[in-house]
Amino acid sequence: MRTSLYSTTLIAAWFLISALPSLQATELDSQESHQEFTTDVMPVLSKAGCNLGTCHGNLNGKGGLKLSLRGQDPAFDYHALVRASRGRRISVASPERSLILMKAVGEVPHGGGLRLDRESEHYEILSDWLREGASGPSGTAATLVHLEVSPIEAIVADPQSQVQVRAVATFSDGTIRDVTDTACYELSNLNAEVAPNGLVTRKKHGETTLIVRYLQKQQPIPIAFIQSRPDFQWQAPAPANEIDTHVFAKLQRLRLNPSAPCDDSVFVRRAYLDAIGKAPTSAEAKAFVTSENPNKRTELVDQLLQRPEFADFWALKYADILRTEEKVLDTKGVEVFHGWIRENIASAKPIDQFVRELVTSSGSSFDNPPANYYRANRDPSTRGETTARLFLGTRLQCAKCHNHPFDRWTQEDYYQWASLFSQMKYEGSDAKRQDDLDKNEIPGDETVLITKNDEVKNPNTSQIAPPKFLGGSQLSEDQQQSRLTELAGWMTSPQNDLFVKSQANFIWYQFFGLGVVDPIDDFRLTNPASNPPLMQTLAKELVKSEFDLRSLVAFIMKSQTYQLASEPNETNAFDHTSYSHASVRRLPAEVILDMQSDVLGVPAEFLGQEKGIRAVQLPGVLSKQARRKGPNDGDRFLKTFGKPDRILACDCERSNETTLKQVLMLIGEGLNERIVSPSNRVTELATSDRSDNDVVEELYWSALSRPPTETEMAAATAMIAGHNEQASPDENGTSNNRLVALQDLAWALLNAKEFLFRR
Amino acid sequence: MTFSAINRRAAIRVGGAGMLGMNMPKLLRAADQSGSIKPRAKSVIFLFQWGGPSQLDTFDMKPNAPEKVRSPYRPISTSAPGIQICELMPEMAKRMHHCSLIRTMTHTMNNHASAGYYALSGHKPPTDDQRLRDSLDLYPAYGSVVDHLAPNTNGMPTFVAYPHVIRDGSVVPAQHASFLGKRHDPLRFLEDPNDQSFKLPELSLPQGLSIDRLHRRREMQKLIDQQTKILEYSDRANGFDDYYQRAMSMLTSDRVRKAFDLSSEPEQVRDRYGRTTYGQSCLLARRLVEAGVKFTTVYFSASIGGRRVNEGGWDTHGFDNTRMYEIVNNYQLPITDQTLPTLLDDLEERGLLDETLVVWMGEFGRTPDINKNISRDHWPRCYTTLLAGGGVKGGYVYGTSDEHARMPAENPVKPEDLAATIFHLLGIDPLTEIYDRDHRPLVIGGDTIYDLFA
Repeated sequence: MRTSLYSTTLIAAWFLISALPSLQATELDSQESHQEFTTDVMPVLSKAGCNLGTCHGNLNGKGGLKLSLRGQDPAFDYHALVRASRGRRISVASPERSLILMKAVGEVPHGGGLRLDRESEHYEILSDWLREGASGPSGTAATLVHLEVSPIEAIVADPQSQVQVRAVATFSDGTIRDVTDTACYELSNLNAEVAPNGLVTRKKHGETTLIVRYLQKQQPIPIAFIQSRPDFQWQAPAPANEIDTHVFAKLQRLRLNPSAPCDDSVFVRRAYLDAIGKAPTSAEAKAFVTSENPNKRTELVDQLLQRPEFADFWALKYADILRTEEKVLDTKGVEVFHGWIRENIASAKPIDQFVRELVTSSGSSFDNPPANYYRANRDPSTRGETTARLFLGTRLQCAKCHNHPFDRWTQEDYYQWASLFSQMKYEGSDAKRQDDLDKNEIPGDETVLITKNDEVKNPNTSQIAPPKFLGGSQLSEDQQQSRLTELAGWMTSPQNDLFVKSQANFIWYQFFGLGVVDPIDDFRLTNPASNPPLMQTLAKELVKSEFDLRSLVAFIMKSQTYQLASEPNETNAFDHTSYSHASVRRLPAEVILDMQSDVLGVPAEFLGQEKGIRAVQLPGVLSKQARRKGPNDGDRFLKTFGKPDRILACDCERSNETTLKQVLMLIGEGLNERIVSPSNRVTELATSDRSDNDVVEELYWSALSRPPTETEMAAATAMIAGHNEQASPDENGTSNNRLVALQDLAWALLNAKEFLFRR
Repeated sequence: MTFSAINRRAAIRVGGAGMLGMNMPKLLRAADQSGSIKPRAKSVIFLFQWGGPSQLDTFDMKPNAPEKVRSPYRPISTSAPGIQICELMPEMAKRMHHCSLIRTMTHTMNNHASAGYYALSGHKPPTDDQRLRDSLDLYPAYGSVVDHLAPNTNGMPTFVAYPHVIRDGSVVPAQHASFLGKRHDPLRFLEDPNDQSFKLPELSLPQGLSIDRLHRRREMQKLIDQQTKILEYSDRANGFDDYYQRAMSMLTSDRVRKAFDLSSEPEQVRDRYGRTTYGQSCLLARRLVEAGVKFTTVYFSASIGGRRVNEGGWDTHGFDNTRMYEIVNNYQLPITDQTLPTLLDDLEERGLLDETLVVWMGEFGRTPDINKNISRDHWPRCYTTLLAGGGVKGGYVYGTSDEHARMPAENPVKPEDLAATIFHLLGIDPLTEIYDRDHRPLVIGGDTIYDLFA
């Protein structure tokens, strides 16, 4: 409230100053009326959208005019507007004849349409500036030191549907200006819309983040539009730990009740799938559901964490983002790297140590497995980007070509960070490529050598970029001698907030499908945590456990938040960001394929892999054999269902989206063959002397971790009976009609959404 | 950018004198921006000539150039006044009144992989490198962008691509949806339309599975889904269920399957297209357009080729003691001169040509200087693309190359400008932004070439 009071007064002052020049421009002291390019003209260009990526801020400009992206380089823009094209874009003599103004007001056709109103204050600023001689950025101009926005966050309850944002800028000369009308506004999603004057209007109930941008500063404002619910009654399970405290506190503020806790058969299935990447067997599921032990959920969590499949499943996740892939690492490299990752998880190596070993590794990639980290990331830029993304939750890619438009990173930061990874080279073996034309293939052992002289240059200045920690200090001469060791120490310190939070967030994401900061590798001021105290708690817990993966997993899985049902209640159906109910997500490719194998008792096969290996245990992406001969059914299934190629160091490469092709594959190719296989579990059950009911029940428990409902049992047994009556000859010579019916039932179970989706 | 004098005059007529910087294209553009863009083409058939055809031996002959530059073949006049093309394409010559040529396509990528990616996506690759690797941070194929921004609602797939996945060592990027997501991938198949038994495995039921039985399975699946109400509260689960619905109708109804059934075409028609993989692929493309597919990509070949007279693409360097002109005149040009004119005729006879844009292009052209193997090497600086139907002018040439077709002399066109033009013709604003995996907003096209519009 403090700001709004103080900004009202400011507005008045600002009007006085800005209204004067147009009235008596000639009489005023030129210093008084002076429109400064960097602080007066630039905001107007930004506000009008001239320098956006779709317009003149595009890498190639538009219509022959290129401006710096979002006005990050005023000197460049000044040159483009005033000096370039022989100055034809401006006219100091008659400002209103200047091309830049005529285009903007639509007097001359403009690809970008109408950008300015001739009667507006912004038009006046530009024309004044032109009239005064269109002076360029001056060394004496004040610079922006602080941007204050209000409110800093907002919850807007019905019947209200709007919030007016204000922005106040403080300059180096002590000037303070209300810049509400000149600041740029952008929303993170379509839940609301924002007017040029900072008025945000709800379109849908839910949360959004407004980014306020003025000159080089940005501030986020989280806004939630909620229903009023005058008779709202808070209802929630008792918090099990601090996760629940923070999640529930937020839900209560938003007047949302969490869904009820999920039932036991949902929980047992969810816990198995999330922790170890497989569904419980029918015996395991039954035992859990029928157990009367009041602590059975926490005990189950503890048991799951000790199972060898935990290491398999989490090794898969880390192998994905560490680019464990055959073409670049060779089959042997993939095997040793994956083996090393898995072993570290099995032996509970602390995450910080694991990361230190990765980023300081060198030597033979066959003998020293973590050296594959640098074998996969082959140049300083890629190494820098990957390391920042995976271990600091930071996307630097944008800053390679221009200052990051949504973050604080400059191009200089980018190359100074890349410099940390510059002193490396590779020594190949004389192994032959399988396909000599495929230059992406790197066969045989390769040794990562640390060199002394290679440096990265900033392409803008052509100067060597001195190595510097991202957002930290420049390395001393001494430190530069052992850059990677220094980096590892700085990066993985418990005091390094970005490291701790990004690692905790990565783990959280595995369970909720949504990071507290989301996307999980995009920590920045303008992408705030959806629940900051929750983020803090997860980070604290990770440090407290000395970076132990299992401790944080247990902390998460034992929370009530994790154990909520996926079915929404009447208050929380529209919530997708505050964890009011469990998320429904299609399971990973490997998990679905393994579950099919488990239910059918027929392992899937992958070319060039040992028989019986589970998809989750596969060390790489595609074997040499599969590359040569073309993938088989198992390989194709994984690819179609979104197993990543592991070319990008990003969890986003794995896809859990759904496609038509996946369904065609589940109906036809592959799965059907496995279902009608004479040596599978379905045949075994069909030909056993167990009763129809018994057999149906068994299939339900093994596929869905639950018994059939009465309706389902009736339908399933009717199917069997129907087949017996028909004794149809069209079923391709199958004489056992119970078998045909059970095959159909098995197909239906393996295609049920509760089989394919985690809920 | 320069605009021709004719256009400037036209613009002044339309817009009145005294309007600085005014010209026809911008007027059109202004009109377009008043509302959504009116589609001029309903479908695109994109015929990709992998390997890089020579501009000098096809559509941009330079008969007056010195012997070491000019084609050994002569130019011939065509049905379009003032346009000459290579004498080895007499049939094509009779159809040039349907075609626009862009003789000033230009970029700087010398490798097949990077140039191919540029041509297929309209986006300049980060490096000019054969090792440019197909990954989700690279741009999607045109068809995938179309599927993302203007998907079909007629039950037919939006984007179909066949009968090859092209590679030069590694798979060339931009043949799928990349960061737009798998759901925008093309319906892609590698079966040969020239095979007697050509059909799509995806559109056939597995052996022993009758349609009745499939329905029974589906009914039981629905019953199970009802028990948990998951379809009522999960959009994702519900969305997946929609695909079952679509798959069932594709497998059980005739519409899609019929479109792919080449055997229902008269023998005579199949012969006219040529009994080659490419010929029958183009025939299939016409069937798909007829059935409502929006973007059909046909790859001429899987490999860059250039060393054999009966297979592969246009990459005729003369390596291994082969000779470009044995290969081009006995293989690529005869096929081209049989299939492309037939496709244009067939579309026209069916009244589809006006609404179907046919694009014929490679990833680059070939060196003006004939090399020591009496062949030509890669040349991205200046090459020719052919467009026909779908709202473009007939008998028109955009851009002029210099006297050796070495550089554009006037009106250079980058692949992103061609991309913008294709999108624009389909009614998609080329200024539309799509988002990559880093959530970076990226514009889909460059500057539309309005002069091509009929």
